[in-house]
Amino acid sequence: MVDASQHNLVPEHTIVEEEELEEVLDEYNIDRTDLPKIKRRDPPLRELDVEVGDVIRIERDSRTADRAVVYRLVIE
Amino acid sequence: MSVNSSPKEIGSLSFGLMNPEEYREMSATKVITADTYDDDGFPIDMGLMDPRLGVIDPGLECKTCGKHSGSCNGHFGHIELAAPVIHVGFSKLIRRLLRGTCRECSRLCLTEDERDEFRDNLERTRQLGDDLNDVTKAAIRQARKKNRCPFCGEKQYDINHEKPTTYYEVQDVLSADYTDRIAAAMEGRPVGDEEEGDVDREAQSPTQVADKTGIDASRISEILSGEFRPRPDDRKALEKALNVDLTEEDMNKLMPSDIRDWFENIPDEDIRVLGISAEKSRPEWMILTVLPVPPVTARPSITLDNGQRSEDDLTHKLVDIIRINQRFMENREAGAPQLIIEDLWELLQYHVTTFMDNEISGTPPARHRSGRPLKTLSQRLKGKEGRFRGSLSGKRVNFSARTVISPDPTLSLNEVGVPDRVATEMTQTMNVTERNITEARRYVQNGPEGHPGANYVKRPDGRRLKVTEKNCEELSEKVEPGWEVNRHLIDGDIVIFNRQPSLHRMSIMAHEVVVMPYKTFRLNTVVCPPYNADFDGDEMNMHALQNEEARAEARVLMRVQEQILSPRMGLNIIGAIQDHISGTYLLTHENPHFNETQALDLLRATRVDELPEPDGENDEGVPYWTGRSIFSELLPPGLDLEFSSSTGDTVLIEDGTLVEGTVDEDAVGAFGGEVVDTICKQYSTTRARMFINEVATLAMRAIMHFGFSVGIDDESVPNEAEEQIGEAIDNAYERVAELIETYEAGDLESLPGRTVDETLEMKIMQTLGKARDSAGDIADEFLEDDNPAVVMARSGARGSMLNLTQMAGCVGQQAVRGERINRGYEDRTLSHYPRDDLSADAHGFVESSYRSGLTPREFFFHAMGGREGLVDTAVRTSKSGYLQRRLINALSELETQYDGTVRDTSDTIVQFEFGEDGTSPVKVSSDEENDIDVDGIADAVLEAEFGDDGEEFLTDTQTNLSEQMDNFIAGDD
Repeated sequence: MVDASQHNLVPEHTIVEEEELEEVLDEYNIDRTDLPKIKRRDPPLRELDVEVGDVIRIERDSRTADRAVVYRLVIE
Repeated sequence: MSVNSSPKEIGSLSFGLMNPEEYREMSATKVITADTYDDDGFPIDMGLMDPRLGVIDPGLECKTCGKHSGSCNGHFGHIELAAPVIHVGFSKLIRRLLRGTCRECSRLCLTEDERDEFRDNLERTRQLGDDLNDVTKAAIRQARKKNRCPFCGEKQYDINHEKPTTYYEVQDVLSADYTDRIAAAMEGRPVGDEEEGDVDREAQSPTQVADKTGIDASRISEILSGEFRPRPDDRKALEKALNVDLTEEDMNKLMPSDIRDWFENIPDEDIRVLGISAEKSRPEWMILTVLPVPPVTARPSITLDNGQRSEDDLTHKLVDIIRINQRFMENREAGAPQLIIEDLWELLQYHVTTFMDNEISGTPPARHRSGRPLKTLSQRLKGKEGRFRGSLSGKRVNFSARTVISPDPTLSLNEVGVPDRVATEMTQTMNVTERNITEARRYVQNGPEGHPGANYVKRPDGRRLKVTEKNCEELSEKVEPGWEVNRHLIDGDIVIFNRQPSLHRMSIMAHEVVVMPYKTFRLNTVVCPPYNADFDGDEMNMHALQNEEARAEARVLMRVQEQILSPRMGLNIIGAIQDHISGTYLLTHENPHFNETQALDLLRATRVDELPEPDGENDEGVPYWTGRSIFSELLPPGLDLEFSSSTGDTVLIEDGTLVEGTVDEDAVGAFGGEVVDTICKQYSTTRARMFINEVATLAMRAIMHFGFSVGIDDESVPNEAEEQIGEAIDNAYERVAELIETYEAGDLESLPGRTVDETLEMKIMQTLGKARDSAGDIADEFLEDDNPAVVMARSGARGSMLNLTQMAGCVGQQAVRGERINRGYEDRTLSHYPRDDLSADAHGFVESSYRSGLTPREFFFHAMGGREGLVDTAVRTSKSGYLQRRLINALSELETQYDGTVRDTSDTIVQFEFGEDGTSPVKVSSDEENDIDVDGIADAVLEAEFGDDGEEFLTDTQTNLSEQMDNFIAGDD
């Protein structure tokens, strides 16, 4: 099976630690359910040990802003 | 609402079902009489037009609230229904609840564990903001799987729903031919639909059966003779002993009253598992026992010319309901047979159903006497003309005008010419103070017909007085500070201007008014691209703004000059078009010389009133100015640019002087004119607006100086060229003939991935395409550079070299669906050709040029290709319009917040930083080569602010109102 997370077009996915997550949620003044969502079975997450309710940080190269950081909540 | 009430904010809204008790409480009266007015024309007490339900006739007083018509909103009444009926709007929810709850104890057929799971699920879904229906549907599906109630153990039956409002319970009952079945089984014969040998069954005597089942032998013979129906237990024993099925399905109709009883017993806690709030919505409230009667104000009756009263559709429907309700009660009291009662019940259900929705499938719509279907409650809300889309989201507005548009190149692009008859109709409110009282009095004095006049005045006590020709003199003297004067639109007022379809934000822009005679709106031609307007009969709408906030906002955000850059790609959408571009091309391409008179004439409509040093003298010693230096007069000092023009040369601008190059579409055109774009970003939108205005006027003067006209004869080429073109085409024909020969000999090699036929087609198309191109090249060679059509094509003003080729050289291959024309008759396109003719002219190659004219056959092929083009554009516009509508609806609630995130209305984040980089496309350089000169801007600002000598950043000289307004706002006027 191909590991999608190794593909060069797939940006880096990492699990966000609880304390750091607090900061992120504080920064945007939101609940974790207001984050964009990602399915638990999304291919790039296969090799990560994620559970529903975790938050994933996606760091992707951006054409205009060099690096763009996005957070997503893992759902069913 | 009282005058002093302050604005309130809506804290929250909640939706739920309505308790019948609440209907009774809010009811002004019970309605029992199906009639409206008595013979004297007075409303009948407790009738449908009871005066307690509100007033519609002016002058009368409402019996409930004492207000007069207009201020009384009306009051609900109620009808006590003789029997409960189902509310059609909830038929699906009723079905779900019937299927999910126990028929005996009414509890939700889910175990505690399952309930917990669904409760959690519901909570999670609610937090995520997803559709709760998915969870409740799953819960019902789970509950429906149960054969027996987990609480009382009662067997559950399937519920059948016959649309719209009938529910059946599907039960297994003893079949009608049970005696025959038992007899057959005891003899070992097949039963019912069974085939011989399907079932292994031995013949048994009644005594054997009696032994097996434990039923008396005598009872068995009684059952066999049909004298005695076996009890359920006995039936099951018999079925087991005889290996036979004695049941058939029976539909047991559930009456609304049964359903109501059933729902009343559902515990609150059980419905909460289904996401229903027990406090706000008890399920039994979905079965109506009381029907609210809408106030008369919601169903006014109208008096026709002949004095006859005509009632609203809703009133008609209510009359039907009350009549049947009455008959139902009478019949029940008289002890009518069950059959009649049920019929009446069904009829009552029908009337209540159609009262709420008259477009239910499976139910014939209730009709008016004339045969027109009645417009009942749901029809009032639904659809384009309905309450939501027709009366709330979109409605007709005051202070708007619509008329045909026409061009006026003397206006600034910020302005709009407003016909005087529009200006005298649309007003602006003026608060009279000590400082503007003379002005205000003058407006009133001019009356409603003189142009800068007034239509109404409002006294401080709130009385509005109409200004008329008769009272205007008198009234003008009464005007004091504190009054309000509704004065006419005058030059410089700001209005909103719009052309449909409003596909992007530049379709609605704010303009400054210039009042003009005649009947059309006038606009500068450079604003045609953003509105996508032309002057072949287009109409546009204008809206006069009615408060100071709106006017300020429109001026700062919506004015045309603020919209020069399009957010679509960050390029300017307003700029020179068509003749403007031809004009600047003529002015700069060959850099012609002008004497003083000519140069001054060219710059006449700009703010330049002094010529620079002449560029030289001619042989007679008369000074001259070049086109480029005249154009340079419009450029802001300090502008440095280098880019290549669409003509093909390099344009070099140094310190606001055009050193070399041709100014054409790529320099000043709409959709990405480099100079306009740069001025917009490095100087200001005001400077860009001035530049565009002046380029337009200069270009018009230039094109008028040289003169410019096109005719088809301009595209004729010398005989020599005609011969060359003919040769090129003959060559192509020969090559095509060769290709066909090789193909027919079977020697043609197919290209990878294609059949031989396809290869041949491709090669022929290629050859003919080349033929047309070479014809074009030849024509191009022989057309002079000053040929007007060539000038337009090169400068990008209008038309392309392809258009020229087709006019002068050869029209080329016509195509339908991307192929040569291959349709028409059997094996040929027209009966003029032999069958299976593969030659060029048999498949739509047009050898002639538009100038020489097409042969009839060519003309026909050309029409085929042309038709496809027309159909394509029609289909494309409708498709893309619908796609755009859906996109807009999906994205309409997204908003960029102050923290840079993009969120929807429920605060869910869509983007963490707008567009990943948090920048606006209109504030960013258009490409890498032309970075915005930030330092230069900073220097210019510092210079303007602190420099003691230096030229002003913006000059003081003004060409039009817009500038005056800018200065007025800045306070230095």
